[in-house]
Amino acid sequence: MRDDANISWDSLKRDRIERIQAAIPLVKMGKEVDASNAVALLETVIKPYDKVNIEGDNQKQADFLAKSLCEVDVEKIHDLHMVQSSISLGSHLDLFEKGIAKKIDFSFSGPQADRLARMIDQGTIELGDIHTYLELYARYFIDLTPRVALVAAYQADRNGNLYTGFNTEDTPVVIESVKFKQGIVVAQVNEIVDQLPRVDIPADWVDFVIEAPNPFYVEPLFTRDPALITDAQVLRAMMAIKGIYAEYGVQRINHGIGFDTAAIELLLPTYGEELGLKGKICSYFALNPHPSLIPAIESGWVKSIHCFGGEVGMENYIRNRPDIFFTGPDDSLRSNRAYAQMAGHYALDMFIGGTLQIDKYGNSSTATAERITGFGGAPNMGCDAKGRRHSSEAWLKCGQEYGMREQLTGDMPRGKRLVVQLQETFREKLAPGFVDRLDAWKLADKAGLDIPPVMIYGDDLTHIVTEEGIAYLHKCASLDERMAAIRAVAGYTEVGLSADEAETQALREKGIVKTPEDLGIDITKANRNMLAAKNVRELVKWSKGLYEPPARYRNW
Amino acid sequence: MALQEMNFTFQAKGDYESIPEEWSHTGVVGSGDLEILLRHEDLGGKVEAKIVTPVKGFDDIWEKVLSKFVESNKVGNVVIEINDNNSTPFIVSMRLKQALAEAKGGIL
Amino acid sequence: MMSWKELQNTSFYESPARERAIGLVDEGTFKELIAPIDKFTSPHLPVLGEAVCFDDGVVTGVGKIGTRPVFVISQEGRFIGGAVGEVGGAKISGLFQVALQLYDKIVDKYPNDYESRIPAVVFSFETGGVRLHESNAGLLAHAEIMEWIQKCRNKVPVISLVGSKVGCFGGMGFVCVATDLVIMSELGRIGLTGPEVIEEVMGKKEFDSTDRALIYRTTGGKHKYIMRDCAFLVDDSIEAFRNQIEEVLKMPYSEIASYRSIGSLELVEEQLSLVGLSTELHPKDSKDVWRYFGNENADQIQDLYYEDFMNSVKIRPRGGR
Repeated sequence: MRDDANISWDSLKRDRIERIQAAIPLVKMGKEVDASNAVALLETVIKPYDKVNIEGDNQKQADFLAKSLCEVDVEKIHDLHMVQSSISLGSHLDLFEKGIAKKIDFSFSGPQADRLARMIDQGTIELGDIHTYLELYARYFIDLTPRVALVAAYQADRNGNLYTGFNTEDTPVVIESVKFKQGIVVAQVNEIVDQLPRVDIPADWVDFVIEAPNPFYVEPLFTRDPALITDAQVLRAMMAIKGIYAEYGVQRINHGIGFDTAAIELLLPTYGEELGLKGKICSYFALNPHPSLIPAIESGWVKSIHCFGGEVGMENYIRNRPDIFFTGPDDSLRSNRAYAQMAGHYALDMFIGGTLQIDKYGNSSTATAERITGFGGAPNMGCDAKGRRHSSEAWLKCGQEYGMREQLTGDMPRGKRLVVQLQETFREKLAPGFVDRLDAWKLADKAGLDIPPVMIYGDDLTHIVTEEGIAYLHKCASLDERMAAIRAVAGYTEVGLSADEAETQALREKGIVKTPEDLGIDITKANRNMLAAKNVRELVKWSKGLYEPPARYRNW
Repeated sequence: MALQEMNFTFQAKGDYESIPEEWSHTGVVGSGDLEILLRHEDLGGKVEAKIVTPVKGFDDIWEKVLSKFVESNKVGNVVIEINDNNSTPFIVSMRLKQALAEAKGGIL
Repeated sequence: MMSWKELQNTSFYESPARERAIGLVDEGTFKELIAPIDKFTSPHLPVLGEAVCFDDGVVTGVGKIGTRPVFVISQEGRFIGGAVGEVGGAKISGLFQVALQLYDKIVDKYPNDYESRIPAVVFSFETGGVRLHESNAGLLAHAEIMEWIQKCRNKVPVISLVGSKVGCFGGMGFVCVATDLVIMSELGRIGLTGPEVIEEVMGKKEFDSTDRALIYRTTGGKHKYIMRDCAFLVDDSIEAFRNQIEEVLKMPYSEIASYRSIGSLELVEEQLSLVGLSTELHPKDSKDVWRYFGNENADQIQDLYYEDFMNSVKIRPRGGR
C-alpha cells in the first residue's frame, strides 16, 4: 500500500486537461479548429516522446493531419513514438527524417516498404515491432496505448460526432484505446455538417475536429480487373474449387487479395454452378467488398459479408444489398477492421491466398531483402486459431484428416482451419515460387529482426495449390512426408526438381497429392471464357449499374 | 544481349505418333507467352526441338519440360519450333499440350 | 483455336490477330499469305536480345465475303504492342500490292461486270505505331503503306477496323484515318500520341494517363463516332465487325468513299472548320463537344450500352459544325 500523500492517481487526466485547455484559444466553435491552425493545435496537444497514432489504415488516411504533423516545430515536438497500423504515405516517414518522430511500431507498410527498409538500415528510424493488425490493436490496450490519436472521418456535426461510414476501418479501435486512457483525439473530416447520416463515434470521445482542405485519400486496393486474369489463374482456381472448396464443403471464408482468388470468385457462377456447389460452399465471408464477387452475389451464392474496409465504387451497390453486407440505419456500409479481423481469426473455416515464396518446409513470406512490408491481417487468418472450440463440417473434416493429430492429442477429436496457398511455381521473370530458404532470413539479418518475418508458418499451412497439383499437407504424418508433398507440386523449381517420382506416385495413391488429372480437370480447357465477367464493364452489368468503378478501371 | 537458341533431340520410348498435317501453329509471342510450330518430318521417330528465347540459363528446364512432353504424349517424327518471351515452365507445358491437341483435332 | 462459328460470338477486343482474320471472312475461306511456316522473322530484334515471332506480329491473308475477295491485315497487339517493323510492314505493303494486281486482272477479265467482283482490303489495327527497335525501317513501312492506300483509291476499297486491346496509335493512327472508312467498337481507340506520352510531356494536370475513362472519352469509339472519325460503330464481337464489312461491301464505291476524312479540298476545309470550332468553344472535355453537337445526355453517354447509345446519339453534321 502506498501512503505517500504526494502520489497522484490522476496525472494522466490532469495532463490531458492541461493540454486541452492550452488549445482552447485555437478553437473556433465547439470542438472545431480551423485548418490553418492545425499545426499550432498539434504543437499544443502533443509533447515530445509521446506515443502518437496517425490513422493510417489499409485504405483511409488521415493525410492532412499527417502532413500537418510534419510541419510542427521540431524544437517543440521531437522523439515521438509512432504506433499505427499502416505506413502508407510519404509523410509518415518524413516525420523521422525531420526528427519529429524516432520510433515506430506498425503492421503494414506496402507502398513505403523500400524506403522504410532504407531508413531502418541508415538508423533514421528505430524499429519497435512488426505486428499483425490484431496484435497491434491488442497492444493499444496493453503497452502501446497512444497518448494522441489523429484520425480521419467523412463528416462531423457541430457537436463533434463523427460519421466514418463506408471506410470506418480502424477508427473505433484506435479511439477506444486512446480516449479511455485519458488520451486526446483529433479528427480530420471532409466536411462539417448539421446532421450526420449516422453517428459512428460519439462526440464526447472526440476532442478536436478539423475540416481538411481536401477529402482524405482512399486507394481502391481491392479491385482486380477480370481482363487481366490469365488461363493459368483460371486453372488454379478450378483446381481449388474442385479439390478443396467442394471436397470440404467450405462455407466460411476469407480470400486474400489477388488474381487467383478473383478468378475463384468469378468461376462460382459458372464452374461452381456446373459442379452443383451453390449453397454448399462460399456462403459467408470476412472480406473487403471485392467487385469480382458481384456475379456470385447476384447469382445467389453469398449470404453474408463482413468488411474490414470499403472499396471505392462499391458504395451504391452495398447500399442496395443490405441482406448481404453490414450496413447502418442510413443504409451505408459499416466496415470495421478490428471486428473483421476477429471474425477472420475465429469464425472462418478457410483462408486462401497467394504469397511470394514458400520454402521446402512450407513456411511462406512476402518479404524480400530490400523491402519491409509488414504483415497486415493475413497471419491471423492464415493460421489455425488455437482457441477455437466450435465445430463446422469443413473444420472437422480437415482435423480428422490431420496426419499428426494422434501424436499430439491422442484420440481426442479436434478440427483444423484450412489454410491454403495458391502458388505459381514461377512468377514473372521466372522468379521461383518455391525456394530452399526464404529471403525473409536475409531481411531479418539486414534489419536486425529477432525472427524472419514469416506470413504463414509451415505447421499452419494445410494445402498448396499449384498448376502441378494440390498438396494436402495436413494429411502428412511427418515433416519428411510434408516436404515430399511440397516437392511434388513445386514444378520445375529447384525444390520441385528434387522430387522423387516414385515418392510422388506414392503420395498420389494416398491422396496427399492430386494432379489436375487426378481431379478430372483438363488443363488445355482452362481458359478465360469460363469467367462470369471478363472485364470491369461486365461487373457493372452484373451489378445492374450499381457498381461505379473509379475512372482508372473504366475501359470504355 | 543476343537471343538464345537451344536445340534438343528426343526419342520417345515405344510407340509414337506424328501430327496428321504437314504443320500446325499455335500461340502468340506475348509477354510471358510463346508460339509453337509443329512440323511433320521423317526423323526415324525422333523429335527435334529448337527454342529461341531472350531468357538465359534455363536450358536444362527446357530440356526437361520438352522431354516430359514427348514422353507422356508419345510424340515422334515431329520438329518443334518455339519462339518464347519469358514463359514459365508451366505455360510451356500447357501450350505444348494445346498445340498437340490442335494439330491433331484442329479444334480444342 | 475455336471453330469459325464459335469465333463469331467472341469478343473482337480480346481476340488474337489470327482468330480475327479467320473470323472476319466467310467460313473456311481464309488463306494466310506469308504464314508462320514461312518463318519471316525480324532481322533486327535478335541482336537486341528481343523475342521474335514467325509472323512478325501481323497476319496477312485472303478470304471471301460473298462474291468478293477480301484481303485481310490483322495486327497482333501482344507482340511488342503490335508495333510495325520492317518485315511486318513489308507484308502489309505486299498485301496491298497483291490486292491491286487482282483488281487489274478482274477489270481486264470482266470489263463490263467487275463491280461485284473487285477485291477489298480490311485492316484490323492493333498497334502503337512504329516499332522503335527498327525505327527507320518501321517509319519507311508507314510511308509505303500510306502510298499503297493512295494507290488503291477508287479501285480497291480499304476498310479500317479498330476494336482491339492496344487500340491504334502513333503513325498507324494516321494510316487508319487515311483509308476509305473506319469501323470501330466502343472499346476501340484511335490517337496519335499515346496517353502516357501526353502525360509525360504536358503534365498530369493536362492528361492523367491512369484515368481510363478520360482516355476513352478522348480516343474511344463513341467519341470518334460522334466526331465522324469513324463511319460505323458496332458491338464488340467478330460477327458484328464482319456483318458491317458485308454491308459496306454492298455499297457502290462512291458511297464508301463518302466516308473519307481526307483527300479533297472539301475535306481539308471541313477539318479546318473543326479546328476553328475548338478555338471558339474552348472545350475542357469531350463532353463539351458532345453537348455542342446536341447530346444533352453528355454525362451519361460513356455508360450507355451499345443499343441505347446508337438510339440516342447525335453526331456531328457533315461539313464541319
